[in-house]
Amino acid sequence: MSETTKDLYTENMIINMGPSHPVTHGTVKFLVTLDGEKIVDMKVDIGYLHRGFEKMCENSTWEQVMPFTDRLNYVSPLINNVGYALAVEKLIGIDVPERCKYIRVIACELSRIADHLTNIAASAMEMGAMTAFLYFVEAREFIWDLIESFCGARVTTNYVRIGGLKNDLPDGFKEKTLHALAEVRKFWDDVNKLLTKNRIFIDRVRNTGTMPPEEAISYGFTGPCLRASGVPYDVRKAHPYLIYDQLNFDIPVGEQGDNFDRYLVRMEEIIQSTRIVEQALEQIPKGPINICSPEYRWQPKEAVYDKIESLIFHFKTVVEGIKPPNGEIYFPIEAANGELGFYLVSNGGGKPYKCRVRPPCFPLTAAMPRMVKGGFIADIIPTFDLINMIGGECDR
Amino acid sequence: MIADLIETIAKILFVFGINMGFFSPILGWVERKQSAVMQDRVGANRADIMGYKAIGLFHPIADAIKVMVKEDFIPDGANKIFHTLAPFISLTCSIVTFAVVPFGGQYEIFGHKVNLVIANLDVGILFVFAFASLAPYGAVLAGWSSNNNWSFLGGMRASAQMLSYEVAMGFTIIGVIMVFGSLRLTDIGMMQEDFFRWGIFLQPVGFILFLTCAIAENKRIPFDMPEAESELVAGYFTEYSGMKFVMFWMGEFLEIVTISAIVTTLFFGAWHLPFITDADLVNFFSFAGQTGSNFLAILVNVATFLMKVIFFIWLQMTIRWTLPRFRYDQVMKLGWKMILPISLINIFITAVIILV
Amino acid sequence: MLNGTLTPKKVRPNIDLSLWEKLYIFEVVRGLYITSRHFVIHLFGFIFPPAGKKRSIPTVYYPEEKVTLPEAYRGRPLLVMKEDKTEKCVACGLCEKICPGKAIAISPREKENGDRFPFKFVIDMSRCIFCGFCEEVCPKEAIVMSKEYESLATYNRENMIYNKEMLLRPEKELKARIDYVRRIYSKCNQ
Repeated sequence: MSETTKDLYTENMIINMGPSHPVTHGTVKFLVTLDGEKIVDMKVDIGYLHRGFEKMCENSTWEQVMPFTDRLNYVSPLINNVGYALAVEKLIGIDVPERCKYIRVIACELSRIADHLTNIAASAMEMGAMTAFLYFVEAREFIWDLIESFCGARVTTNYVRIGGLKNDLPDGFKEKTLHALAEVRKFWDDVNKLLTKNRIFIDRVRNTGTMPPEEAISYGFTGPCLRASGVPYDVRKAHPYLIYDQLNFDIPVGEQGDNFDRYLVRMEEIIQSTRIVEQALEQIPKGPINICSPEYRWQPKEAVYDKIESLIFHFKTVVEGIKPPNGEIYFPIEAANGELGFYLVSNGGGKPYKCRVRPPCFPLTAAMPRMVKGGFIADIIPTFDLINMIGGECDR
Repeated sequence: MIADLIETIAKILFVFGINMGFFSPILGWVERKQSAVMQDRVGANRADIMGYKAIGLFHPIADAIKVMVKEDFIPDGANKIFHTLAPFISLTCSIVTFAVVPFGGQYEIFGHKVNLVIANLDVGILFVFAFASLAPYGAVLAGWSSNNNWSFLGGMRASAQMLSYEVAMGFTIIGVIMVFGSLRLTDIGMMQEDFFRWGIFLQPVGFILFLTCAIAENKRIPFDMPEAESELVAGYFTEYSGMKFVMFWMGEFLEIVTISAIVTTLFFGAWHLPFITDADLVNFFSFAGQTGSNFLAILVNVATFLMKVIFFIWLQMTIRWTLPRFRYDQVMKLGWKMILPISLINIFITAVIILV
Repeated sequence: MLNGTLTPKKVRPNIDLSLWEKLYIFEVVRGLYITSRHFVIHLFGFIFPPAGKKRSIPTVYYPEEKVTLPEAYRGRPLLVMKEDKTEKCVACGLCEKICPGKAIAISPREKENGDRFPFKFVIDMSRCIFCGFCEEVCPKEAIVMSKEYESLATYNRENMIYNKEMLLRPEKELKARIDYVRRIYSKCNQ
């Protein structure tokens, strides 16, 4: 407080920001203490979107969990699907066919593009640039059309199965994808020109919400926010899964860990993801997409229709669920927000004994007070948007 | 005497009609439609009368009916008088400014001299500033009287921002006044008869600064600190609903028109077409007789003026939908540390050039 | 190929803005150029639409125009009706078991000749999550996800409970979907 106002009686203003406030999408509440416009203190209150995901999983068979995972990070549901399937497959100890891996990578990267597009769009909108928002939403529409063409739904995908996939890619998918990616790049260029060099935008995001690398690691940051701080950690490179070790892509890193770096990292990751999709489409082999082991993957329809043994077995697997061996597993994958881990415990039964999710945005949300304290109330907006807190994933 | 009265009433009716009857409802539609087309959307097009949709032009009517039947809500603990007064102040300030804006030259109709401005004040530009500086009261009172933290923050921001930009705006205009040597808007308009003496050529920096300050005065993106819907919910009018809420919006839309009109008058040759003087116009229409030619010239003047105003409305809307919003301290910094010094330098350079 | 090696790519080449960028005006003008370009293109797109389209704006005017749904689209589940106006379903209860939202409720009965049939087959559409598991596990091709997505909204929750009569559709109407299901769940499963 400056000298002139020292003798005046002042009082901090305490404001409830959320749970229904335009900026707290994903329903979170900030209890902000303000000195004028400056943030003195801030408390984060999460849990408004708690739906008991983990408890629901304990009452469902291993397969039935799959549609629930769609609802974790509802902006990139396919990545959650893949993460859960990979975790269960590791628990069982099976390996999916090569074509399935490629399709899963394509699905993941398309979802990642959609997630980053949504995230940057929403941040831009909340900083007032409504047009950038709608350009990216239009670009996302192309991605969602693609996803719909092979999943059958845009958001509630439920596409991946344990030991395989629901169905193969449709005909002409490659051409459609390349066209869609070209369109996405067009919109990317437009938004890049609208925002990246615009001083108004830069002033808003630069040097706000700064997080130095050591603290970022100690808070448990992962994903684009950690990479923005300058730590080149990406699960796709550090612990390669699927076929990421056969693909050529860069990991963008920032320098200062502020919101501008987060924005730039996300923008660059969109481009890298388009590269990955293009490579995967180039290399994708022909072949089966499901494993041939009826105890873990439901049998093909002909067998069920024609053979009584298969039919009985089909009934048994569906009703009782697949039965992974006793044990526990943690499997991380790189979701759009960071490391999405599934910790599964099996007691040999048809239902998960425990299904714990490590949401990437929980540590990020926890670091909100650290990032905005001392800043202006307007700094909450880019910081909260660019950490990309997704209620469904954070609260589960 | 009677003729003067009729003339004034006709002009007031014209200006009032074109503002309240044409611009303020239509701008709501324009803003929706223009932003939509800019953003690859279609925009509001669903309101229909007997199945006719008329590209969404019935939406202003639907809006009007909606706001009229809505509950006028005054929050508990609010100061009822000021809460009610605030929107009226906002709206009045933006309408009254129009009294001094000329929309045409001087003509003779039926032997009666007609000046196409409601009040031909010799301190016209000061009148504009006087009412522009009353406008913050609307926002501040609304913010203070609502008994809401967000409104209060919005009101605080509004007062600081609008007062700062008031100063800068005043300085940006001084260059124009120095060049034209008059405070009377009609005179300034008259002097821009020659295309190369338009304000934009004499004061290019002044134009950019003035437009910036004017948008900041009007509290629109990129300067919409007081509203900032993602930070302060809706800023100073968070607690307003129904007709009072709409009065704020009408005030804002009318201010867009006012800004466009003043920019046109000061910098873009007012009612003049390039390279055509008023006398040329009257001569061109001489086939219609004395009164008729003057009358046709008036029509051309008004049409030209309106076209220019509409262009600047379009420009302001495009700016509003393109740019992100500033942060509060950056707005202050821009006002005091960039625009004010540059406008002072501008005044200095103008003075030197005039002297030389 | 890079087997797992890390190549960090710095995305922040210049921290300082040039004077050109520090003066807001030029970036503003560039932004205005981009948005105005979209504005002009789409404004003329209404008058001179591109080939094969009604306008250059991608919006679909919903009730008048409808999107073409992909083959894989999962609308609300429907029951398949045989030629003799009875359902194909044999009330085995697999869909009821697998349904993650527990939306399906079946009461089986037996006909005089010993065939099972669902006396009641109720889908609570307010619980259905359109996952498509019922279709995937059904051993009789009796329940499929249709392309119907309309008329699900209602003012009353009771109206969301669909009974057997509301769900039954002739097999001919659902032929395309049944073929699709047979194809995707057989092709590469081996």
